[in-house]
Amino acid sequence: MRELLLVALLVFTGSAAFAQEQAPAGSPERGYQAYMKFQCYTCHGTVGQGGERNVGPKLVPDPIPYVGFEVEMRTPSRDMPAYRKPFVSDQDLADMYAYLLSIKPGPAAKDITLLNF
Amino acid sequence: MSSKGIDRRLFLKSAAASAAAIIGTNLAANSASAQTTKPGAEAKDTELSGERVIGRPGSDFMVDVIKSTGIEYVAANPGSSFRSLHESIVNYGGNRKPEFLTCTHEEVSVAIAHGYAKAAGKPIGILAHSTVGLQHAVMAVYNAWCDRVPVIMFAGNSLDADKRRPGVEWYHCVQDPAALLRDFIKWDDQPASLQHFAESVVRSYKLATMPPCGPVLITADTELQEEPVHEAGNLRIPKLTFSIPPQGDSSALREVAKMLVAAERPLIIADRAARSQEGVTRLVEVAEALNAPVIDVGSRMNFPTTHYLCQTQNRGALVREADLVLLLEVADPWGQFNSVGDPYKEYRRLAKPDVKVIHISLGESLTKSNYQDMQRYMPVDLAISGDVEATLPALTEAVRSATGSGRRAALADRTEKLRAQYRQTRERTSALASYGWDARPVTTARLAAELWNAIKNEKWCLTATDGVTWARRLWPATQYYNFLGHAGGAGVGYTASAAVGAALANRDKGIVTVTFQPDGDLLYAPGVLWTAAHHKIPILMLMHNNRAYHQEVMHLQRMAGLHNRRMDTAYVGTSIDKPNVDFAKLAQSMGVWAEGPITDPAAIGRSLSRAIAVVKRGEPALIDVVTQGR
Repeated sequence: MRELLLVALLVFTGSAAFAQEQAPAGSPERGYQAYMKFQCYTCHGTVGQGGERNVGPKLVPDPIPYVGFEVEMRTPSRDMPAYRKPFVSDQDLADMYAYLLSIKPGPAAKDITLLNF
Repeated sequence: MSSKGIDRRLFLKSAAASAAAIIGTNLAANSASAQTTKPGAEAKDTELSGERVIGRPGSDFMVDVIKSTGIEYVAANPGSSFRSLHESIVNYGGNRKPEFLTCTHEEVSVAIAHGYAKAAGKPIGILAHSTVGLQHAVMAVYNAWCDRVPVIMFAGNSLDADKRRPGVEWYHCVQDPAALLRDFIKWDDQPASLQHFAESVVRSYKLATMPPCGPVLITADTELQEEPVHEAGNLRIPKLTFSIPPQGDSSALREVAKMLVAAERPLIIADRAARSQEGVTRLVEVAEALNAPVIDVGSRMNFPTTHYLCQTQNRGALVREADLVLLLEVADPWGQFNSVGDPYKEYRRLAKPDVKVIHISLGESLTKSNYQDMQRYMPVDLAISGDVEATLPALTEAVRSATGSGRRAALADRTEKLRAQYRQTRERTSALASYGWDARPVTTARLAAELWNAIKNEKWCLTATDGVTWARRLWPATQYYNFLGHAGGAGVGYTASAAVGAALANRDKGIVTVTFQPDGDLLYAPGVLWTAAHHKIPILMLMHNNRAYHQEVMHLQRMAGLHNRRMDTAYVGTSIDKPNVDFAKLAQSMGVWAEGPITDPAAIGRSLSRAIAVVKRGEPALIDVVTQGR
């Protein structure tokens, strides 16, 4: 049920603009430091691009809304580790989310010659 | 059989061709009848200046036996327990077929043989120095076993305690050499005579190459090696005859065909199904006859990635929707339909409860008790014992016979949707690959795209497809030799050595052999770089150097979350930095052309151009690229 709620949330609120509006204030710079410190990049990549073999889904572009992000961090629904409050503060989460929002999109696939297989 | 059925002679011809695919050119090499030892080869044992000279040691005959099987190489780290055989290979055999490949570790020897066999379709030998050599070899043997790949292993040993020198030789002797690895080899023997050796080597070669294939071990006793051949005229090397791989039962196949044709959402899942290009062609034929999507699990190259029925990336949705699944030599059938979460071990059923499942496989004929590579038991509706490649022609024919004109039209109606799914998947994958395109460290998608750009006009072989999966998702692959799967047992240390073995097999075929080389894997047995340089084996290793064991990072994070503990210590014991390993210098120190570390993705292409030139002139090359974790 919790997953269904998350999906519904994503469907109705899944735009970057909405996500940004709903997120608590955070620092992208501090967020980058936290993202690296907690080794989120191991699975999700240093710029949230996602990893191999679906172990780490992409986080950007279009991050999920903050409320979903927080739920996934604290009580993940699947194989992701649980990042608990005593060790990862609410401010850490807000900062990391701010970092994700700050990542600028790269070139589109259609504009990358090497991806024309 | 009806006139519309399969012509028995044609089938046998095709089945024989399948067998030839396993054993390659050895069919021709072994078409002669049983051989005796070489005429005139009975060099006399003489007294020379008061010293005894053995002009015709048993190891010479052993070389005759090995040559008779067509084994082209023996990979080995030298060891005194097979010193006589080593000397005979070089001086008596002329170091040609077999040629001695100098290795720096027995794990390297076996993994080279593993990679070679997958690329060549026939095995080579390895020599192991009794107890210690076999102990070094064991993990790589387990990989070959799990991957169902033939490796012909020889181990020296001195069974007769009365003949051993005191000290080290006792440490290096064992009553039962194969006991260490009997759980994961197909067969072994410790011959007590040269005639026994001849028969056991020929038998072991036959067993190793008979699907499902696997490693075998023959002990070469040092006394047999070093003592003179007596009564050489009586020694005979038996003729090597290969068994035709078995076809599944014809009446069962007709039943399968009816079920497949009647199914609304059939799905084919292939794993170690193809053994050759013929196998790929046959799988395409049956998939097209059914117009059914195919998931290629990837232990072998089973299905062209360019075909619209190749729906590997849509596995989840297809398994959920399927009303009938045809498994073709799938190593983990249960795992195709179910999952167990981590760390909470929640069970999830992915497929419909009433999905019908058919499995064509020889897997159960090679099931042992101790090691659990048999995977979880999977109840199926119909299990057919048979070699997939040998069975597919009959199945295709049965499917065609069972498809009436009305049903044919219904099957054809699937095309548009499947083509659209294929196209959308490609577009989605390209979009995913574009994220982080210019990132530093370099993304694995960028790494794969750069490598493809460098080899796209070549005949190419990617020796490991599990670490960086973008190649299987993006590269247009149509040939069996394009993708060689993975280690089998997921034992780290396979990638580099197997790549060198595959490159050796591809060396004379004009195939450019490449691998994405993980840093952790190369650090297990980096000496293989020296072997590649020494023997001029043209392999291109493009490092996926993420400076950590990143999979283990994730596991530590999961455990910390589970234990309600801090999350920022997962780097302890998992990182490979401080200092960073300079893989270019490591390779250069062993005579391998190398560049790096490269951190700028824009620099990879130029470096690859230089590396390809090195490889095409017949030498190994390594480019160290600092990459994202995954």
